[in-house]
Amino acid sequence: MKTDIETPRKAHLKKFPWMDRLRRGWAIYKQNLLGKIGLSLLVMFALMALCSFIPPLIDKMYQPMTGVDPEITRSTGPSLRHWLGTDFMGRDILSQLLAGARVAFLVGVSAAFMSIVMGTAIGMVAGYMGRFVDTVLMRLADMIMVMPTMLVVLMIAALFGQLTIWTIVLIIALFRWPGVSRVIRAQTLSLKHRPFIEAARVAGASHLRIIFRHIMPNVLPLSFLYMTFRVTSAIIIEAALAFLGFGDPSTVSWGMMLQWVWKTGHMFKAPYWLLPPGICISLITLAFYMLGRAMDEVLDPRLRKEAGSD
Amino acid sequence: MELWKYIGRRLIQIAIIFFVIITVLFLLFRLAPGDPVSRMVDPDMTPEDAEHLISQLGLDKPLGMQYLYYLKNFFTGNFGESFHYGQPVIDIIGSRLPNTILLFTSAIILAALVGIFLGKIASWHKGETTDTVMTIGALVTHTVFLPWLGLILIWVFAYKMNWFPITGMLSEEVWLDPDAGFFTKVLDVLHHMILPLTTLFLIHFGSYLLLMRSSMLETLKEDYILTGRAKGLPEKIIRNHHAAPNAALPVVTSVGLSLAFSINGGALTETVFTWPGIGRELVMSVSQNDYPLAQACFLLIAIVVLISNLVVDTLYAYLDPRIRY
Repeated sequence: MKTDIETPRKAHLKKFPWMDRLRRGWAIYKQNLLGKIGLSLLVMFALMALCSFIPPLIDKMYQPMTGVDPEITRSTGPSLRHWLGTDFMGRDILSQLLAGARVAFLVGVSAAFMSIVMGTAIGMVAGYMGRFVDTVLMRLADMIMVMPTMLVVLMIAALFGQLTIWTIVLIIALFRWPGVSRVIRAQTLSLKHRPFIEAARVAGASHLRIIFRHIMPNVLPLSFLYMTFRVTSAIIIEAALAFLGFGDPSTVSWGMMLQWVWKTGHMFKAPYWLLPPGICISLITLAFYMLGRAMDEVLDPRLRKEAGSD
Repeated sequence: MELWKYIGRRLIQIAIIFFVIITVLFLLFRLAPGDPVSRMVDPDMTPEDAEHLISQLGLDKPLGMQYLYYLKNFFTGNFGESFHYGQPVIDIIGSRLPNTILLFTSAIILAALVGIFLGKIASWHKGETTDTVMTIGALVTHTVFLPWLGLILIWVFAYKMNWFPITGMLSEEVWLDPDAGFFTKVLDVLHHMILPLTTLFLIHFGSYLLLMRSSMLETLKEDYILTGRAKGLPEKIIRNHHAAPNAALPVVTSVGLSLAFSINGGALTETVFTWPGIGRELVMSVSQNDYPLAQACFLLIAIVVLISNLVVDTLYAYLDPRIRY
């Protein structure tokens, strides 16, 4: 009986060696306090994002953007009807907060994913091709790296008018790849002269095949590590833009909520409205940051030994 | 001598990067939907004034000539006139720049010094409560949402406790008072500066602390530390004279690398505290469609970032004699 259960699992592992790696990584990750805190916070925010679909189903007035409580025309404190109170026009703050979690994940993960894809591809090509291609790509990276992303988006908003949330995400991604590409390039440089790459070349593999089949699997873990840090910066940039009044007016983000508190002059009167969005932005960035640091330890054995030695 | 050559090479690089930035900005201004003339000339101007400005900026010429005019105007400091203030842009920028530099550099330097100092202590007590508290504290202050932190500080310390002014940089009654001495005025500015300075400081010192801590732990494994211990040097000397100076080097680099990020934070801080600096001016001019001012602020910030990067790199080369470029 026992072997019947054991065998298929082992076969499974053999077929997918990465699952085994993942399990071992998880074992290391579990010992990390920061990692555990970060992951629990993220699970909480994911639940919030999921729950954001519920309030609008209960009553139309719980629509985060358009739902107005007919009996309330100004900001009121927490009550049974509105657990976190209402904003200046009688919209429910809790449902806005939940919707904000969804937007934060959407913005953070999609911007980070795009910039990671770009950064990894550019870094691998620059490192592998070397010479002219390398110089051009890395100078370009230097140039973009010195630009303050938030102010660039502001400038673009000034020229092209109101930006939608997806344009903002795209611009953030376009300006956040250089950091990743530098790291990936360095890693590629160290891989380039390893025997298995030379062997592939001797066997007649094309450049593209070497880059994507042989180099990419070795740099991907690093890319994913950087992705968590990019998520943080994307969320912060979007929140800051919304706070300054340049966000997408058709989406409720936490930054937008803070802008409403600030611009309508409620910041001294309505702590129930000022505190939640700020705490959420700060905690979600903290969570992704902690996740990144914990993953860093999983990927870099040197950090791990240092942490475990005493 | 080699250092000078390095600085020279970097200056050329910076010039090229800057040239690309202004070219891209020029093209963006022409590519954007709408009339480029209306973006540089105030719609409320009299026709004669407008015509004069148009010919001065070369907006009636073909695109290639416009670009040359644009470069010439840039190097002579002629950025046109602000729509909102009705003054030459260069004057407005000139009066805002010192305020930004005052607030920003003092915050960054203070954050770096405190971060290095506390990071050293944290690494020395690795694994103890001191270390855990410091690490978590640094993580939290580093990731807190800056404008929100600003609002909370204003709410608590300016509104509730009434310790500090809520906005601005100067109190009118002090500056209009002919009897007020220089010292009173300085104190007034400092009084206004404490909250924005605290905000910027709190956001930055955490990352320097964390970096210093890990860099210090790395350095403590070096052979020369072992040598120091072997010859019986006191731990304090090893920590402060042998390990810390070397461990602080990556912090110096990171000040340069994170500068673009810090500038964003500077603009947000200035906006929340209505500190009359370049960052706030950029945000305001963008929301008021004051294109000439927005463009000039943006270019100025780009210059500041590029030059500070050079300063940081030079400092690094000077501090670490092992690095030769």
